Amino acid sequence: MIPATYRASFSYLLRHPWQLALSVIGIAVGVAVIVAVDLANASARKAFLLSMDTITGEATHQVIGGPSGVSENTYARLRVEYGVRAIAPVVEGMISVDGTSLTLLGVDLFAEQDIRSFTSQAQSADPAAPSDETLFSSFLITPGVVTTSARTAEQLGLAVGDTFDVVADGRSRQAELLATLASDASNNPDFLLVTDIATAQEWLGQAGWLSRIDVRVDDGNEAALDQLRAALPDGTKLLSAAGRTRSTVEMSKAFMTNLTAMSLLALLVGLFLIFNSVNFSVLQRRNLIGVLRALGLTRRQLLAMILIEAGVLGALAALLGVGLGIALGEHLLELVSRTINDLYFRVSVTSISVEPFSVVKGIVAGIGVALVAAAVPAIEATSYQPRLALTRSSLEHRARRALPTVTGIGVVIMAAAVLLIVVSGANLVAGLAAVFLLILGFALCVPLCVSFSSTLTAPLAQKLGGTIARMAVAGIASGLSRTGVAIVALAVAVAATIGVSVMVDSFRGSVSAWLDKTLQADVYTGALRGAMDPDLIDAIRNLEGVEDISTRKRAWVEDASGRTQLRVFDIPPEDFGGAELLDADPAEAWPAWQARDAVFISEPFAYQKSIGAGDSLTLPTDHGPREFAVAATFQSYDINASGVMMSRKTYARHYLDDTIDSLGLYLANGIEADDIVAQVENLSAGQQRLYVGSNANLQRESMRIFDRTFVITDVLYWLTLGVAFIGILSAMLALQLERAREFATLRALGMTPTQVGVMITAQTGIIGLLSGLASLPLGVVMAFVLIKVINRRAFGWQIDMSIAPSILAMSVAFAVGAALLAGLYPAYRAGQSQPAIAMREE
Amino acid sequence: MRHLLIGLAAFVGTTISLADEGEAPSQLADLLGAAADAGFARALEPREFVFPADHGPHPEFRNEWWYVTGNLDDEDGKRFGFELTIFRFALAPSVAESTSRWRTENVYISHLAITHVEDERFYVAQRYSRGALGLAGAQAAPFRVWIDDWSIAKRPDSDAWQLTASDGDFGIDVELRALQPPILNGIDGLSKKSAEPGNASYYYSITRLGTRGTIRIGEREYTVSGLSWLDREWSTSALAAEQVGWDWFALQLSDGSDLMFYSLRKKDGTQHAASAGTFLATNPNSSHLDADDVEITVLDTWRSPGGGAYPSKWRLAVPRFGLDLTVEPVIPDQELFTTVRYWEGAVDVDGTHDGAAISGRGYVELAGYAQ
Repeated sequence: MIPATYRASFSYLLRHPWQLALSVIGIAVGVAVIVAVDLANASARKAFLLSMDTITGEATHQVIGGPSGVSENTYARLRVEYGVRAIAPVVEGMISVDGTSLTLLGVDLFAEQDIRSFTSQAQSADPAAPSDETLFSSFLITPGVVTTSARTAEQLGLAVGDTFDVVADGRSRQAELLATLASDASNNPDFLLVTDIATAQEWLGQAGWLSRIDVRVDDGNEAALDQLRAALPDGTKLLSAAGRTRSTVEMSKAFMTNLTAMSLLALLVGLFLIFNSVNFSVLQRRNLIGVLRALGLTRRQLLAMILIEAGVLGALAALLGVGLGIALGEHLLELVSRTINDLYFRVSVTSISVEPFSVVKGIVAGIGVALVAAAVPAIEATSYQPRLALTRSSLEHRARRALPTVTGIGVVIMAAAVLLIVVSGANLVAGLAAVFLLILGFALCVPLCVSFSSTLTAPLAQKLGGTIARMAVAGIASGLSRTGVAIVALAVAVAATIGVSVMVDSFRGSVSAWLDKTLQADVYTGALRGAMDPDLIDAIRNLEGVEDISTRKRAWVEDASGRTQLRVFDIPPEDFGGAELLDADPAEAWPAWQARDAVFISEPFAYQKSIGAGDSLTLPTDHGPREFAVAATFQSYDINASGVMMSRKTYARHYLDDTIDSLGLYLANGIEADDIVAQVENLSAGQQRLYVGSNANLQRESMRIFDRTFVITDVLYWLTLGVAFIGILSAMLALQLERAREFATLRALGMTPTQVGVMITAQTGIIGLLSGLASLPLGVVMAFVLIKVINRRAFGWQIDMSIAPSILAMSVAFAVGAALLAGLYPAYRAGQSQPAIAMREE
Repeated sequence: MRHLLIGLAAFVGTTISLADEGEAPSQLADLLGAAADAGFARALEPREFVFPADHGPHPEFRNEWWYVTGNLDDEDGKRFGFELTIFRFALAPSVAESTSRWRTENVYISHLAITHVEDERFYVAQRYSRGALGLAGAQAAPFRVWIDDWSIAKRPDSDAWQLTASDGDFGIDVELRALQPPILNGIDGLSKKSAEPGNASYYYSITRLGTRGTIRIGEREYTVSGLSWLDREWSTSALAAEQVGWDWFALQLSDGSDLMFYSLRKKDGTQHAASAGTFLATNPNSSHLDADDVEITVLDTWRSPGGGAYPSKWRLAVPRFGLDLTVEPVIPDQELFTTVRYWEGAVDVDGTHDGAAISGRGYVELAGYAQ
């Protein structure tokens, strides 16, 4: 049986459904954001690892080569001369079908059984499917025959036997779906087309080369590994498969960490919100608490009652939040995986995978915060003398008395944040922790500021708007125990948006300026993936009006320490201005780069490796590891913090690869870029599909991609604002509803409903304004830390901070608007109430 | 779920066994026998055999194999049997031209089996590969047929061949020296498998190859010597619809004569009329054997732990040449659980030749029994 006291407590909640709903929604939304970001992050990561696992199969190691891959002769020699077994050749690349990117996995069925089983397992559901021997023989000898998972086939709208077009290496090819692959929970061959290695080589233009050789060696069989290493020619390396997967995932670590930080920001605002909701529900019942105390309930019993209630409420709301979070996570996941695809590696996620850990985290956060939020006012409420608990003034009195202490703690925390930034060197997590400390410390200082400003401005309000205005302003300070948390929540949320907006805006400005400087040619063209057709390059070079060309090539080289991106350029000297050298004299650095084994490194790369001009760098080459002099560091906002810029001549000396990805065209005076664009388009039509665009086009396109990668950031901060809005709404509602008697008194004293409404609206507006103003310094400081500390530590680049006044103005306007909106209903209610009834309530 | 490599089994099945993964034998025979692709050459007429050129591949035909079996002893008298078979199958008469060297119609499959008589152990390994990139292939000059690091190849220093194959646990590395010239089976090398024209192969054997080298089992290496037998056959045909398998005997007798006979089995278990063989007496002239020339009586059977039963002891009588032989496996279990299941093992021979007691050794292949 539920004790009468508990029923009293719950029935109070039930009699105030609005408040109950807002408390629940508050907790639920807070939990939802945490869960959603966590799930989206984890799912993207898991999907990637799973698909890597599927593709890697049982391989424990991989033999990799230089930019061109591993010579297929190496594979044949390993098998025939050295008798190495449990190895499988792989030719892998990206292709697209109807605009959908897919991984093409070219395999040799005969070698697959030791490495991957799914590639040779066709589904037999279809009775009309051809016989086994026909399947086998078609797979092997018919060009263009592919298999894929039933799910992917369905997504592409393909049935077994269909022929369809794929774009590989910029060329359109005809494919036929031979069969669908049997899949189970342990593998995930989605967004994967499996084909014979010959077809893969034909399509990807990789005749003679393998992407890698997959190797399976029993755990601990070092002798086998040594034997294999000894058999490998120079320039090929044997790396652990797990290590390679790890270093690929590592590339996205900074991005994931930042995303988690964003979710923590939402959590923080969520915490304020939950705290706010529960806090209110307890505060509002101080009368009931006083009565119960007077009736003889002990403090302990009361405390237990309040905490149990908060716990139950928290649990229910958290469950709701988890459900909401999973739904929200689905949408976030799409954004997260798109960003990862744009920036790092191919990840195909079809649905969110619900990680128990994320769910538990959300529930614990929900219940925990509800308990903490209830405990503070509960301890406070139960510590009063029974009679005192009934009075509101004593509560406010206490709150006010605590202000200096709270503020002092806030200042200390902020100081600790600054200290942490100074001492933590390049540690990203410490940097993020500092951001949170800053926010927390600042939050603790807000109530005192509000109190001060409302006290100070009350006389001014009187002058400007009369008694009603003065009462509105003064009421904020006198109701600080209720308004304080709401103002803080809104201020933190708005500050977060300022911080993030200023960061993104500054970043955008820096990238745009950098692009403007980097892109020097008039027209750019290149293969969408892979290398350009050499004949096409010649044809473009010979176009009338093209005076000069630069060539570029992006190549990945890899050794046990990870992957490094080489950017290989053959550029005319007049284009030398294109790279902003940060630490060397261009007059000396460029000739060294051009002529000798010297390279430039990108700023992020330099930061990551702690090297710069004058140092040396060892890179794996096709002839084994070689040392290169670092001639300079160049400015770069390439997100893969692994850029080494190398001249074509240097590259040619060290790598067996003469392919070119893209060209920059320099036009003669008076030649229109658009004309050349059209001519290049003509040349490539029916040949290799190329992208081609003028300088301006390319800049636009780059900025579009830049903006796209920040969509996730946008979404997260709108969510944060949403959370804050619910917080301010529930605070306003509770605040004003609770003051019903006060308003009734004012009505009884002769105030019209409109005047009361105006007063309430003015008060919420001022709360919004105060929140907005309070958010400005915090927002700017956050932006500074995000730009100078977090971005530098996460990605290594330096961004020039620029604060657009419009961002600040918008933020304050948002805070005021949100508060006003939240005050509308209470204002309406207060105006409608019957003074007599309202006054009798107590 | 089906394994694409099962498709491969179907191709192996045309030469080794028809009892493949529940596929109806008649269908298979249909697919790969009578309705064989028109793009391949067929064995219609006797042809002139030229050596060593014919040791090499005949890519215009669909199937081809190099089949070496032998009985060896080590210095302490320990007895071993071995089989190394390399098959070539063309999946099509040709493939589209390609920039990729991996594109080929030729598939190679190989089975290695070693019988350790004393331990009653039977070791089996198989390999398959496409005939491209030098991963597997066959060439006439210098003779070499290989798959991965398994090979039969002419030694650089002599006319002898070296046979090398090993798998983790076991292996063999022996020199093969022909003691006889190749003999042509069937009618001048044209071996008819049914009454239908073209349903035939070109078939020759070297019935005695002096063999010496080593066999490795685990850590132990045995120095061995003895006699081996080479069977070479290429064709575009398979079994006729009514045939379900065969029993093949290759026997080297103590008086210097050799006997090869294959008994094609019909669905009802009786012998097909196209069954045939060759008897090579001590003089170099070989004699063709018809189905009627040989009477085979099964004296015992062996049940495979994997299901199915194989004949396991025979009486072979060839009245035309005064032969009356009892053939018995050296150990009963010499079944290969490869992509296709079949039994192939070393046998002992006892009996009389024109009344005189003789003994012998050999190899027997039993195809189409495993279910």
